[in-house]
Order: sequence, then C-alpha cells, then structure tokens
Amino acid sequence: MSAVTTGPFAGRRVVVTGGSRGIGRATALAFAREGATVGITYAQRREDAEEALAVLAATGASAHAVQADVADATQVTRMFDELRAALGGHVDVLVNNAAVTHDALLMMLTESAWDRVLDTDLKGAYLCCRAVLRGMIAVHGGRIVNVTSPAGFLGKEGAASYAAAKGGLVALTKSLAREVARFGITVNAVSPGLVDTQILSGMAAERRRELERQIPLGRLATPDEVAAAILFLAGPAAAYVTGTTLHVDGGLTML
Amino acid sequence: MDREALRTEVKQLIVSGLRLPFPPADLRDDISIFGEDAGGNGLGLDSIDALELVVLVEERFHVSIPDEEVGKRAFASVSALVDFILQERGAA
Repeated sequence: MSAVTTGPFAGRRVVVTGGSRGIGRATALAFAREGATVGITYAQRREDAEEALAVLAATGASAHAVQADVADATQVTRMFDELRAALGGHVDVLVNNAAVTHDALLMMLTESAWDRVLDTDLKGAYLCCRAVLRGMIAVHGGRIVNVTSPAGFLGKEGAASYAAAKGGLVALTKSLAREVARFGITVNAVSPGLVDTQILSGMAAERRRELERQIPLGRLATPDEVAAAILFLAGPAAAYVTGTTLHVDGGLTML
Repeated sequence: MDREALRTEVKQLIVSGLRLPFPPADLRDDISIFGEDAGGNGLGLDSIDALELVVLVEERFHVSIPDEEVGKRAFASVSALVDFILQERGAA
C-alpha cells in the first residue's frame, strides 16, 4: 500500500513509547494510517516490535523501532538521536505510553519494585518529554500525550506504585502544559479504563464479566478507541486543549 | 570569531529571538538577561523565555546548555553568555 500523503498527520513525525503491543501499537498504527512517519520504542520483546513494524509498513508509512529502557537517561538520549535520524527530523508528536506495573500490597512492596514502576511510568515520561522539547520549542509547536490510568485518579489496591506514578503523570501533564503553552505546544493525557489487550486475554471469563459490570458502558474498550482519543489530542481539532485528561473508560471514573 | 563580533551576534540573537522592542545596541553587556539584578534592572523576561533562548543559543553557536545550573551561569548577563560560548568552544 502506498503512503497516505494527505490528512492531519501527513508529514508529521510521531513517537510512541511502548509501541510494540496493545494500546501503543494501536496508536502507532492509527497515526500511520493518517500519514504520519512513526517511531516506536520497546523494552525487550524484539519479535513484538518486528511484528508491529510489519503492520505499520503495510499501511505504506515509514516506521522505525528502537529498543530502549525509557527509565534510563542515557538510553533515552540514544533512542531519540536514532529516532530523529530515522524519521528525518525533530519529533512533532510524542505519546508517552510505556509503562510497567507490579501487583503487591504496599506493606509488602519491595523498594526495587516501587522504583522500577516509578522510574518507567513517571521518570520515563519526564526523560522523553525533555528529549523532544528543544525541537518543539524551536518550531513553536508540538503535541505530547501521556497515557495515564483511572488508578491515578481513584487509587487502586495492590497497585500503589502504579497509581502513584499515573497520578504523578497527570500532575506532570498539567505542569508541563503550563510551561510550554506559549510555544504552541500542548500537553494532555488520556486515561484508558480497562482495555481489551493481550494482557487481559488470559483473564478468566467470570472475572472479566465482573469487571465489565463495574463499567457503565458495560464492556471493555478496544485499543483502537484509546488510539482515537490520542489522535484527537495530537491533531488540529484539539489545538485549544492543553493540560487536561480525556477519560476513555466507559464511564468508570466520570471525572 | 573574536569576542566583539560574538557579542554583537549574541545581542542580535537575544533581541530578534525573544522579540525585544529595542535595537541590539541598546542591550547592556552587564544586564541580567532573565529576572532583575540588584538594582532592579532587567529585560522583563522570565524563566520560560529562557527555554527559547537555550534552544536558540544551542542551535546558533553549537554549545550545550543541558540544565538549570549551566543555564544560570550562561545567562547571568550578555558578557557571561559571550564568555560561556567562548569557553565551550575552547573546550570542544
């Protein structure tokens, strides 16, 4: 298929961290279908990244994958150097989606597990934002979308580190939005509720039905529905939206 | 580039890049670029304007201003910025 050369993201350079699977892959694919040049990052599973690249390439888009740990400043610097070279210039849109979680009650949570979650989910977003801002300020424009979670607003038992990181990401979103608004850069968040991804595919049917009963719209989200919200915030229709969170959660939080 | 030529170029960059309403020659060498000095003199620029100057200076003069500590030193005054650029180039 030939590349899309018109549309809101034609010629735009987009980076999606954690873009090899789930919401990240769906988002990268949605941008590719709209004509963007797409870079994805992944932590470990090369086979997932290669599969994602094949899917992206099928749209006709130019795509590139880089392996890196977003929690490591040196690796993030290398990652964006490589992405800028591969994509042909500064990053127009950054989607901070890479995240890990660790299930444990706080009293039993190890320090190393706490650090790993905060370092990836919150520090990782800081490092990636820092890496793209110079390019965005230079052209007086850019879009950053951070993927947060209802846990960041409501808390979640057994996931205090994840909830703290995602709540922190909301505060980072608002703070950075204020800092860079005068340069025409917007910073927003998307908060997906329960999404039907690989991670949930192994869940028992009864447990899944129980979760669905808690959602006013009565079902899980598809990754494409989350991607659509991210593309909205990264696109021209959201030019006057910054510092906010779009809740794509079927009414779970209603904030 | 000698110091005086660099000083002129730095002033031109600050005035044009930050859209200041006066000619570059009116920019004093010792004035605090961001905030105010002890005498209450300043350009009316804030720390967010400094982000743009970081980008402009890095691109034009191929130096690195990686963090707030270096930024405070580099942007203490026009003269300090000229010294910083010369020093960075010398070290390169």
